[in-house]
Amino acid sequence: MIEAQGLFKRYGDKTAVNGISFTVHPGRVTGFLGPNGAGKSTTMRMIVGLDTPSAGSVSVNGRRYAEHRAPLREVGALLEAKAFHTKRSAYNHLRAMAATHGIPNSRVNEVIEMTGLGPVAKKRVGGFSMGMGQRLGIAVAMLGDPQTVILDEPVNGLDPEGVQWIRHLARGLAAEGRTVFLSSHLMSEMAMTADHLIVIGRGRIIADAPVSEILAGRGQLRTRVRTDRPSDLLAALRGDGTTSTFLEPDLLEITGPDPRRIAEAALRQQVLVYELTPLQASLEEAYMELTASEVEYSSHDLSLGPPAQGVSEGSRS
Amino acid sequence: MSTSTSTPAAPARARRSDGPRLNFGRVLRSEWIKVTTVPSTLILLASTLVVMVGLAALFAWSLQTGQAQLDSGGPPPQMGPPGEPLPDFGDLARGAPSSGIIFGQLLIASLAVVLIASEWATGMIRSTMVAVPKRVPALLAKNVIAAAVSFLIGAAAALLSYLVAQPILAVEDLAFALSDDNIVASILNTGTYLALIAVISMGIGTLLRNTAGGVVTAVGLFFVLPVIVVNLISGLADWIPDAARFLPTNAGERLVAVTAEEGALTQLEGGLVMAAWAVVLLVASLLVTRRRDV
Repeated sequence: MIEAQGLFKRYGDKTAVNGISFTVHPGRVTGFLGPNGAGKSTTMRMIVGLDTPSAGSVSVNGRRYAEHRAPLREVGALLEAKAFHTKRSAYNHLRAMAATHGIPNSRVNEVIEMTGLGPVAKKRVGGFSMGMGQRLGIAVAMLGDPQTVILDEPVNGLDPEGVQWIRHLARGLAAEGRTVFLSSHLMSEMAMTADHLIVIGRGRIIADAPVSEILAGRGQLRTRVRTDRPSDLLAALRGDGTTSTFLEPDLLEITGPDPRRIAEAALRQQVLVYELTPLQASLEEAYMELTASEVEYSSHDLSLGPPAQGVSEGSRS
Repeated sequence: MSTSTSTPAAPARARRSDGPRLNFGRVLRSEWIKVTTVPSTLILLASTLVVMVGLAALFAWSLQTGQAQLDSGGPPPQMGPPGEPLPDFGDLARGAPSSGIIFGQLLIASLAVVLIASEWATGMIRSTMVAVPKRVPALLAKNVIAAAVSFLIGAAAALLSYLVAQPILAVEDLAFALSDDNIVASILNTGTYLALIAVISMGIGTLLRNTAGGVVTAVGLFFVLPVIVVNLISGLADWIPDAARFLPTNAGERLVAVTAEEGALTQLEGGLVMAAWAVVLLVASLLVTRRRDV
């Protein structure tokens, strides 16, 4: 269980995390979702005490991380890849980490096995690909067999097999009753893995709800309809909060009524309909909608020739 | 990477609250593993030993040839600042065990800076501070390991230097016994000197968090500052040469000296002054590290 209360972090005059409060519960995968620069990593760094909050507090299982007698056994954290000495081998890195808590070498071998690092364990970390670095970071996180697991962008740099492995790992850990807190800027990834979502943008929490609720609450029923007589069909559907957009002269997107009602209206009016496609609000769209005004770095239309690395001032309003 | 991965979850073991936990002895062990598992550290330590013993052999050899020159009635050899009376070679010879310090300290200083600054350079520091979130034990342990290793290398090098120098000095009858006054103390204090150099340098490396900057600063403090003070500005005011005695390497010189000198710090005073530098830098680095974001 991770509890944050009024967590603030300022770097100079820039506010990275703007007074957020949230609780991450055990037994499920909680996704921490937000665009780059939204404050995800800073929040996770504050959980394990790498950054000191400017105000507010965060506790893990009732205590500040540093107050635990065996921090590595309480929380396993993968924070930004490559927190390793490049000249040391993966095996020795794990041994040095394990030694601080008197964790036996047998456990070191277990996590090497578990993360598939066996063939490269004796090689220097400096030569590792990003994916292998991620696996080593996860191996370190699992060393203490912790009750709470924090993974910052764990799928970064992993191949598809690795991505799937992370998904299984996260779900498996949650199923064992552990607290799993997983950050990503990829909505699609979260849709596959998380049960609960905390969405953050520009240092503030935008949403904190089960994935299904976030999906359901967003986007009304939309249907794409292709017909020769769109205006006649629309006239039959008038009322009931129906809105529509012309995508092409014969192609409509209708929001409001469900496909069956559209078909019935078309049947009544003797209007020929030759496409009727229900459109599902994807998590991706819900996310875009949620964070539209909260992105720190938004892309510009290149043809307008704005600064190459534009921090969008417009989006701050 | 296309290695196969086994089942995700950790074996569901019984959770016990009395399992392994963090303590200082374990942090020490972790720091020891870190020191011994990076090849460059071991290479630097071996080089320190070799260079110090080699320098002592050269030192003994130069005394031996100087004495030979003197015995054969040739012109007195140049063994120090011009114009000063020629020191007794028998006394000089007793400096052989600690004669490698001048370069030994350079290597130990670099090693100590690298040990801590490389953690910031590589990102390792984040792993260290997550494992030991109170931070102070981790940094203390690293200082203890660096000081202990430097002490052992320094004392071993001094002892080896003594042994290597004897046959060379014996040619001109300059050999001396290990049981002579202050010889064992000088050998041990060569270790103490390097241990203190290590702690001072690690303090600098921790404060600066940068390998190159740390090494340059340490070298500046140990080598350049004494030279500047003695050769360039000591004439400006009376107190400057006085104060210069308290520079770490000048004080340390007295710590390893076999004979006392008029107007200089005693062995104990030299050691205390050097230790004061070490303590101040250590405490400063602990305080700063505890408060700083990693």
